[in-house]
Amino acid sequence: MKTYLGELEELVLLTVTTLGDNAYGVSIQQELESRCGRNISIGALHSTITRLEEKGLLTSWVGGATAERGGRSKRFYDITQAGKITLTETKQLRDQLWDLSKVKLASR
Amino acid sequence: MKSSPPKLAQKLFDWYCGLAKVDDLRGDLDEMFFHHAKTRSITHARYIYWNQVFSLMFSYAIRKRKRNAQPGAYASNNISFSMIKNYLKVALRNLYQYRYFTLLNVFGLAIGMSISLLLISMYGYVSTSDNFHDNGDNIYTIISKRSEGFEERHFASSPIVLANRLSDEFSQAKEVVRINSSFGGEVIRERENIPIHGYFADHNFITVFSFPTLSGNTRIALSKPNSIVLTESTARKLFGSIDVIGKTIELKDQGTYEINAVLKDYPKNTHFRFEALVSYVSLPAIQNPNIEQWTEYRDQYIYVLLNDGEHTNNLETYLRQLEKDVYNNSTVKVNFDLLPLDQIITSDVYNALGPKWETSGFVVFGVIALLILLPACFNYTNISIARALKRSKEIGLRKTMGSGKSQLFLQFITETVVICLISLLGACVLFILIRGEFQSMMVEASVLDLSITLKTAILFIVFALVTGLMAGLFPALYFAGLNPIEALKSKVSYRAFSGMGIRKALTIFQFALSFCFILSLIVFGRQYRTLINFDFGFQKENIVTVDLQEVKPELVKAEFSKLSVVQSISLSSGSPGLSASRAWIHSVEKDSVEVSQLFIDSDFLKNLKLQLIAGKNFPETSSSDERFMIVNEEFLINNKIAPEDALDKVFLVDKQELQIIGVVKNFYYAPPQIPIGNFIFRNNASAFTQANVLVDASDVFGTFTAMENSWQKLSNNAKLEAAFYQDELNESYEVYRLLLKMAGFLGLLAISISILGLLGMVVYTAETRVKEVSIRKVLGASAFGITLLLSKDYLKLLGWSIAIGILLAIAIYETVFTKIPDYHANLTVLDIVVGALVLIALGLTTITSQTYKTALSNPADTLKSE
Repeated sequence: MKTYLGELEELVLLTVTTLGDNAYGVSIQQELESRCGRNISIGALHSTITRLEEKGLLTSWVGGATAERGGRSKRFYDITQAGKITLTETKQLRDQLWDLSKVKLASR
Repeated sequence: MKSSPPKLAQKLFDWYCGLAKVDDLRGDLDEMFFHHAKTRSITHARYIYWNQVFSLMFSYAIRKRKRNAQPGAYASNNISFSMIKNYLKVALRNLYQYRYFTLLNVFGLAIGMSISLLLISMYGYVSTSDNFHDNGDNIYTIISKRSEGFEERHFASSPIVLANRLSDEFSQAKEVVRINSSFGGEVIRERENIPIHGYFADHNFITVFSFPTLSGNTRIALSKPNSIVLTESTARKLFGSIDVIGKTIELKDQGTYEINAVLKDYPKNTHFRFEALVSYVSLPAIQNPNIEQWTEYRDQYIYVLLNDGEHTNNLETYLRQLEKDVYNNSTVKVNFDLLPLDQIITSDVYNALGPKWETSGFVVFGVIALLILLPACFNYTNISIARALKRSKEIGLRKTMGSGKSQLFLQFITETVVICLISLLGACVLFILIRGEFQSMMVEASVLDLSITLKTAILFIVFALVTGLMAGLFPALYFAGLNPIEALKSKVSYRAFSGMGIRKALTIFQFALSFCFILSLIVFGRQYRTLINFDFGFQKENIVTVDLQEVKPELVKAEFSKLSVVQSISLSSGSPGLSASRAWIHSVEKDSVEVSQLFIDSDFLKNLKLQLIAGKNFPETSSSDERFMIVNEEFLINNKIAPEDALDKVFLVDKQELQIIGVVKNFYYAPPQIPIGNFIFRNNASAFTQANVLVDASDVFGTFTAMENSWQKLSNNAKLEAAFYQDELNESYEVYRLLLKMAGFLGLLAISISILGLLGMVVYTAETRVKEVSIRKVLGASAFGITLLLSKDYLKLLGWSIAIGILLAIAIYETVFTKIPDYHANLTVLDIVVGALVLIALGLTTITSQTYKTALSNPADTLKSE
């Protein structure tokens, strides 16, 4: 079955991969804010993450506690194999569309 | 770093998430807060924190996590049938295991619920009132609210001219039915006459109301003059069969009626009460000369059947207009109002057609039922919580294994509901036992149908469930809220006893209430005894009063005097002590005064041993023209006449000049609660209605047979109606006897409930302190000392409740009893002492029966088991 990705889902998935071992709630949110200029609430972010987990594109585990979080643990996220395939498929689809598209950007 | 995230937001978040695992989210929130706190102001950071909390609370993430959340490994959030089955099983096992307490609770609740069942079944009866009429929804009766000056009275009846106006002028009314309830008399029969009563009714009575016909044509029957419709049972009573169409019955002084139809016996749940219906046209016009007037209300009822779907507004406007036209120039103002058929029986109106059960009566009864029910519920609550210690381990374990609050709550509520349903069975048995007695106490006893129907059965069960919820709510909440660690360590006992204050207060209140009941029993009892032995100032023993009926007084006197058992005989118009008729008396020069009067013959004073203190008796031969009267002392005092010149004074009584020939010593001519006032004896043979026969009481049966035989010679179709005077007097105190019975019964219930509650508490204490007692015994304490030690707390409670009970009783006595005008018995110190002694004796027996048993237990048996 083909899995479709929403725009925000795609962004979150890509951000998780760029963050590598340090992908958890706050770091993902800050990365999204600094790199994409998207200021999204923590509720929206976790909803997206939850949906990605349901689709089997993300996996998570509970990490150690840190003092600055009031002794609470972090939940880290990583992309799954299915996630990688979906991302690649999405990119290929976009590339095909770009190639066919009449839009020629000035920089090209 | 002093700043911390807003506590309230954290609490809100934790509460909202409940059991869901959100540790990482809380971490994220806090981390962000501290990050913001460094870069921005604290207030701003807090604002962001709140924002984020809300965004999370409404997010899909939390919803998903909550859905997956489970309180424990074996827990499940949905209530399934098997779970409820399990609750039931556990409840039954628990109830069986603690049989003794279950028995106590069941007894207490059954007693408490029995009175409420009476109320419910009464309500069930009243609420189905007149629900069998096909047109019931469109039938209204017109009631009259009459006001004259400050006096206002609501009549169920209304002027009959209104009916005529309505059927002429108001076209939206489909039918107008006139009913006059004054039909009644004695059906003349060969051997003895049979009384009958019923209504004069219009011919459409049968079509408007649904009283099914058995045979005959009711339409004709109620249109023709002097034609009558009987009910099935009346026909059987009069003729022994229901095949009576075409026969005639003759009523004494009223002529004959032809039977044209027979009705089936109608159900009891109606406000109509009749044995026969007579066509309205046969209503004797002379019976009441002003029956056509707008100011005559008595015994006349109007029912209106409106067209289907017709609103009452039009009729009301019409009535308003009519009132204005009719009562424009009169001092009496009348408002006509509509009353739907099914509300007639509960409305508080004067001169009602049939029995009525006012809502106010229900409220009073409801309060009494609650006063009995609530202590019983409270006992259950009390005993359950007190036993928390025993069950805390079970609760702790359940919680540790993952049982949620709501599940524990459900489990305990189930237990209570099961107990209440068992109690309902007991209550039903009690209900059936007291039902007959209760019915006989009510005035309208014959019409009250308290049999258990499907509706009342359902109401009973609903009531039991509600009672269960009421009694079980507090313990269930308490158990569900226990901390599992404390519960497992058996530390809850301290917390359970923190509620001791309330529990003590409630126990005290229960016993205070019981104390009041005991006191009222004592006071009512004395009141009744005083009345029974009341000295009226005349002889009431061994006197038989004989109703003269239609027989000539002189004949009766002559015939009865021949009997050997009769010592003396006199004639009178009534019996003193029961009632006396009133008249206006004028002195020649002064204004009129009201007096009570009794017509007697010359033997009466001697017969009843009334004492003449001046003057002489009436002359032996009574003539039809009255000339003399005998007055009482009070009459002289009130009219300021000196006893020596009282004789021969002339007064005008009922337009006759009467001369005082004697003065009689004061005596109670009316019931003892009415003070002695002006009283005269008159001598007029035409007013005599009864013979007072002084008999030899040693052979009651022989006396009555002899009198019966002489009576047969005098009258051929009437039965001898004779009764002992003293019995008649005692009967007039029936209301006190009923009060005595009621107070006694309610008191019994209240006391049993309190005793059961106390017993439960004492048993519990004795059980929990059994080890302590054993150690004390080993160390040398005496059985008496231990009994005292265990009973001390409860004795204190008893003391308090008596103290409060005394205050309560005095308050009730002052506010209620002194307002009853005819109240004689006083609340004395002796009553209080006796009441207190009874209560102490009962309480002491209960307490010591348990504590002494514990004190006697063998320490070796109880101590070795640990």
